Amino acid sequence: MIRIERRLTESRWLVAAVPAGSLVAAAILSGLILLVTGHDPVATWSRLLDRGFFAPGAMSATLVTATPLLLTGLAAAAAFRMQTWNIGAEGQLYLGAVGASGIGIALRDQSPFLVIPAMILAGIVTGAAWAAIPGVLRAYTRTNEIITSLMLNYVAGLLMSYLIFDSHSYWRDLSTFTARVFPQGKYLPDAASWPNFPLGGIAIPLGFVLGMIAAAVLWVIYTATRFGFEARVIGDSRAAAHYAGIRTRRKIVAVMALSGALAGIGGASEIGDFRHVLDPRGLQQASFGYAGIVVAALARLNPFAVIVVAILLGGLSNAGFSLQGATFPAGLVGTLQGLILFCALAGELLVHYRIRFARRAGAAPPAPVPARAEIA
Amino acid sequence: MKNTVRFAVTMVAALGLGACGGTSTAGTGTSSASTIKAAWIYVGPITDHGWTQAHDEGRKYVEQQLGSSVQTTYKENVPEGPQVAQVVEDLIRDGNKIIFGTSFGFQDAMYAEAQKHPDVKFEQATGTKTAANMGEYFGAAEDADYLTGMALGAASKKGKIGFVAPFPIPEVIREINAITLGAQTTHPGATVQVVWTNTWFDPTKEKQAAQSLLSLGVDAIGQGQDSPATGDAAKAVNVPWSGYDSDQSSYAPNIWLTGTVYHWGPYYTKRVKAAMDGSWKSDNYYGSIADGMIGLAPYGSSVAQSVQSQINAKMEALKSGSFYEFKGPLKDQSGAVKVPSGTKLSVSDLYAIDWFVQGVIGSPKGS
Repeated sequence: MIRIERRLTESRWLVAAVPAGSLVAAAILSGLILLVTGHDPVATWSRLLDRGFFAPGAMSATLVTATPLLLTGLAAAAAFRMQTWNIGAEGQLYLGAVGASGIGIALRDQSPFLVIPAMILAGIVTGAAWAAIPGVLRAYTRTNEIITSLMLNYVAGLLMSYLIFDSHSYWRDLSTFTARVFPQGKYLPDAASWPNFPLGGIAIPLGFVLGMIAAAVLWVIYTATRFGFEARVIGDSRAAAHYAGIRTRRKIVAVMALSGALAGIGGASEIGDFRHVLDPRGLQQASFGYAGIVVAALARLNPFAVIVVAILLGGLSNAGFSLQGATFPAGLVGTLQGLILFCALAGELLVHYRIRFARRAGAAPPAPVPARAEIA
Repeated sequence: MKNTVRFAVTMVAALGLGACGGTSTAGTGTSSASTIKAAWIYVGPITDHGWTQAHDEGRKYVEQQLGSSVQTTYKENVPEGPQVAQVVEDLIRDGNKIIFGTSFGFQDAMYAEAQKHPDVKFEQATGTKTAANMGEYFGAAEDADYLTGMALGAASKKGKIGFVAPFPIPEVIREINAITLGAQTTHPGATVQVVWTNTWFDPTKEKQAAQSLLSLGVDAIGQGQDSPATGDAAKAVNVPWSGYDSDQSSYAPNIWLTGTVYHWGPYYTKRVKAAMDGSWKSDNYYGSIADGMIGLAPYGSSVAQSVQSQINAKMEALKSGSFYEFKGPLKDQSGAVKVPSGTKLSVSDLYAIDWFVQGVIGSPKGS
């Protein structure tokens, strides 16, 4: 009989050995698949690392994808820590993009020192407001926030489409020939382009810097403040928190708004750092909000780990496009990416749980496997 | 912090693994003078049975025609946005000298990359911006749409045709206009009811839109979408269906009528050849049924012989130029004359058209 049980102590060597082991496992498994499909595993792996992280410009490109993942990952981590399941980072990011692009267009003749902070603030406010809707519904009417926050993603997507495709809104460009051939948003002025910070040949976008600051703030909130402590208590037991005199309703709304604000900065950064135009199709196709949930889960809700996981996933995504081609189908790329993530998660499980083989299989009725193998 | 350390270890281990390989065969690879590397960037999957698949067949056609003198590759499912620039940079690093972008949403990134890499040729489908090293190309789908409309009109008993449409933009509006005008030749007074999906490729949404039309009682249905999901919905209720982009007849052969198809291959071959011998020049190319960029898919078995010959005759007239579908008099939805007798719509009129002809049910502004 095989049993999975929680480790009472987590040994230090495991913390180093398991990731290395899961990487070896990923290398072996993907290597087998690559060999069977007629590809050179070593060449594939080195190309994946080269184009994702080490080639000139690769890291800068990876940060472009990692920035929104970092912010939506933090958004998910902030809410999940309190066991509040905000699945709506996707829509909150859209709203942040709508708010930031609207402000960017409105302040088109102003200095960057006014425009950029205003865009960040607009992203925070619109993202937080959008997230507060399922927050209030959760806190005061006990509506399941998973469903409401998820449904609001579709509403937010339709709102963006409406602004560009179905109306002559403030965001839509009606003046150029290109915009008549295919509806598009107004481009923001140069003053609304966020700066990036070069560091050893890597361009770090302002949005990524904001994300790193946000990660530190989030870490402080959850480890060193009363707010964070109360949120964790609510997460563990809402009834106990209530009994202890914690104002659970306010806290739920506040945490949802905090989560939405982070996703909203992600939307503002998409506009300010990268797109410079409200692009409903591109944003919806990218689905950074949903990917953020994966980032948060892989990082086990640790804000600093979110930074690392976002970079890893950003690089994997970029390297994936580099790998695929006429002789390397996209499905195989997805399989490799999936295997790496799967092995990382499986390794995570092994650090905290151990597998025991019972000595006398069949002698005693099999004990039920404790259902404790959940990750979060 | 534990996780941070763990991933750092992961990265270092991965690096070591990559470095000690030694026998790496992938990488940039140089292209000699006689061969050229050409690349395509697709917004959807190459198996979409529609738009992207048609382009990928064009890519394969280039390989067939030019053999070992060309090395092609493609990137599929590329999201519109900042990642397009990264994909282009990656392709250039691999030595590609001509790059085709096949979604309108790639245009801005393609244009920006064209400025950065004057030695690489860029080609953008359905776009509007050109540069010394960036050309545009598209085909007059409306020619074949008109013929598809004739098949739909003949197949419809009540004269109620449905159309699943992606976006309320000139490209799609002229397509719907052509279908309506064609349908009215084989079924006088026929109407075409439009539902907008606001997506090029989303089989679920497309199918739902088709089902909503079918439940309204349309008895023939067409589509401007990239997937054959409309045919899926039509098959369930046995309603005649016309496709788009690629020959989709195998999806539902019994209800299949015909459809507009793109033959990108010959154009791609011409352009790649030109890039090889140095004669490539930036252009804004609008192909047609006459030069073969646009064609009609094979007829389904339900299209009567007499209808087929009627459509074929019209196709010959379109090819020879003796017939043009957007010639006056043309009335708009309200019945007002938009194109008086003796005049016709030019290509630039068509590129900005924002009104429906009489007989279309729905708003050209969407929803």
